[in-house]
Amino acid sequence: MLLNSIWRFRLSIMPGGVISFFLLLLAFGVFYILFLNSGYESFSSSLITDRTIGLIKFTIFQAFLSTVLSIILGTVLAWSLAHQNSFCGRDFLVALLSSSLVLPTLIVVFGIISVLGNNGWVTRGIFYLFNYSFDSSIYGLGGILVAHVYLNASFAARSLLHIFESIPKERYKLAKSLNFSASKRFLLIEWPAIKLSLKSISSTIFLLCFTSFAIVLTLGGSPSYNTLEVAIYEAVKLDFDIPLALKLALIQLFITMILVFLSANFKVGISNIKTQNSKISWSESKKLQIFQISTISILTTLFILPLISIFIDGLGADFIKILSDELFIKSFFTSLGIATTSSILTVIFALLISDTRRNFNINHRVKKSKFTNFINLLIAFSGNIYLAIPSLILGLSFFLFSQKFQAPLILWSLGAVLCANILMSLPFALSIIYPPMHKIAGRYDKLSFALNLSGSRRWLYCEWPYLKSSISYVFALSFCLSLGDLGVIALFGSNEITTLPWYLYQLMGSYQTKDGAGVALILLVLTLSVFIFLPKVFKNANHK
Amino acid sequence: MLTINNLTYAYDKTVYDFSLHVKKNEIIGIIGESGSGKSTLLDLIAGFLQPFDGNIMLDTIDISKLNTENRPLTILFQKYNTFEHLSVLKNILLGLTTSLKPKQDEINKAKKILKEVGLEGFEDKLTSSLSGGQSQRVALARSLLREKPILLLDEPFTGLDLKTRKKMLTLVKNISKKRKLYTIMVTHDLNDCNLIADRVYKVKNGKLCQV
Repeated sequence: MLLNSIWRFRLSIMPGGVISFFLLLLAFGVFYILFLNSGYESFSSSLITDRTIGLIKFTIFQAFLSTVLSIILGTVLAWSLAHQNSFCGRDFLVALLSSSLVLPTLIVVFGIISVLGNNGWVTRGIFYLFNYSFDSSIYGLGGILVAHVYLNASFAARSLLHIFESIPKERYKLAKSLNFSASKRFLLIEWPAIKLSLKSISSTIFLLCFTSFAIVLTLGGSPSYNTLEVAIYEAVKLDFDIPLALKLALIQLFITMILVFLSANFKVGISNIKTQNSKISWSESKKLQIFQISTISILTTLFILPLISIFIDGLGADFIKILSDELFIKSFFTSLGIATTSSILTVIFALLISDTRRNFNINHRVKKSKFTNFINLLIAFSGNIYLAIPSLILGLSFFLFSQKFQAPLILWSLGAVLCANILMSLPFALSIIYPPMHKIAGRYDKLSFALNLSGSRRWLYCEWPYLKSSISYVFALSFCLSLGDLGVIALFGSNEITTLPWYLYQLMGSYQTKDGAGVALILLVLTLSVFIFLPKVFKNANHK
Repeated sequence: MLTINNLTYAYDKTVYDFSLHVKKNEIIGIIGESGSGKSTLLDLIAGFLQPFDGNIMLDTIDISKLNTENRPLTILFQKYNTFEHLSVLKNILLGLTTSLKPKQDEINKAKKILKEVGLEGFEDKLTSSLSGGQSQRVALARSLLREKPILLLDEPFTGLDLKTRKKMLTLVKNISKKRKLYTIMVTHDLNDCNLIADRVYKVKNGKLCQV
């Protein structure tokens, strides 16, 4: 019976199933190659040292602090925005908050240094106003926290804003008619609505900060502020200590696996990023309004300042010099090529995996059993392996594969970068594409079966019209994530294979800040343009 | 007497101008197509929307100047009337006290009303475990506990099966007659009105016309 129903939907199950299988095989391959090269006996005896314990402690500590701060600020900002829904520029601010997810981390670092660094806007401003100068080192735990909170609080705020706006208006009307105070309203109406999502958003942020690389690398400042990810990078790239890198990679892999499994039950709502308009039509009390407006003003200023600084500093760069630099041109086109390829593949993978998954979650398709539940879990896990296998570990495994299979390093490098970019975007892509695909099947399956709509005709009539906006959004998201990634490329980057973030990192490392500012501006404009305008262009083209 | 005098409002190119008289102990049914402005009328009476002009008089008091929470009315929506994570009793007591630390006499009062709506023995159940009809009874009980003279019903029984719906409508009729309420019910089903309303109005081109 079960096999019959699986066979009936084979064309819908097999393609995504095969992709999931290969993704799981890749995860297994990573484990295998790392374990094979670690030398089991020496590995187990030297696993727990003061250094590794220190690294684990700091990695968890900074991830925990970043998560708590991001969630608190994100919640307050989202709550304020939900209740202040008619001020000028609100839509732009919300769009900007959404784009924080795709802002290249290196650009954020660049902007933060430009504002809060030793010679940044703040110190210069204070000196100008009060003739007082002080040492303002952004490097260390403080810098790491600022950058993590900058990126993740805005992500949390955008996700939570959607949830606040999704609370049925009737609930707010009821609260108003029952004369609830703001705290009672939060406790009885808003908290129950956000608390489930808070778990998923917190676990996502914790994992992102736990495996954060570029921020810790550039703002950590000293080995005492190293995370596992950066320690792996330094072991490979600076110390050439591959056994140490393998040991750290396996420890990191072990911890992230546990974290991913622990958070598997939390339903993530990344699709929340898209805006929804459900406004509350009456205003708050004066005191609350002042609090909400102040919160929005302060946090918006803090969020926008680094971006403005990139614009202002960037405009002073010598663009003729930058644009004529051969390495820049090479980095630019390599980045575009990799981003385009990986985003096309991400969309295809997300569609196929979602198509497979919905068979196991809709009752009239494949009958539920322990076996199908297990398969469903495996497929879901296959789309999220990036959270368990960070890009640097993936890069390290590809490096080991390249040594084992004797292929040219450039091929393995490109493969590793592409693979890491696809895996990085896939969790977001799936959480955006799967819910509408599941809904479409629930709504139109019976009609499609009755009208014998299948294959391309079903896709044309039932799927595409409802999915096209999600697909364009996923493409833009994946393109931007790929464009700004400084992960695997940090291991493989050279004059032979180089991307824009890697090029920018090289400029920062050699203190060419003026050129760096110009490249950061180009990267920022490119990312924001693609993220904001590509879905719109796509939408307009469909309307014509 | 509840009197709505030229309550005007505009939304999406439609101008609304509502006038209506409701006597004590009277049930008024309001029907109209989707988007005709039925719920806008209730939102204006409840104070969720501010009219451009006009007023609402309850005898000699102009209630249109009051905030929602101070208006002498209570509302029943089509859905989301209860908090699923709270028990039936707590949901009802929210009508009296938002602190959820009720006095014994308030609890007794709530239990008495639960009996009136046919939910005796359901006090400690979570509302998430109730059927649609039972949830609406909880909301109705809370509305009654507030002892406000005006009862607004915004398609409260849409989605319930016919038998339960008839039962609920009869319950509302009995209670509003017994308590001598001013009741205004918005619905898209004329049968609902025929069952309990003393007078029926239709919203057409932004105005109320008696059917």
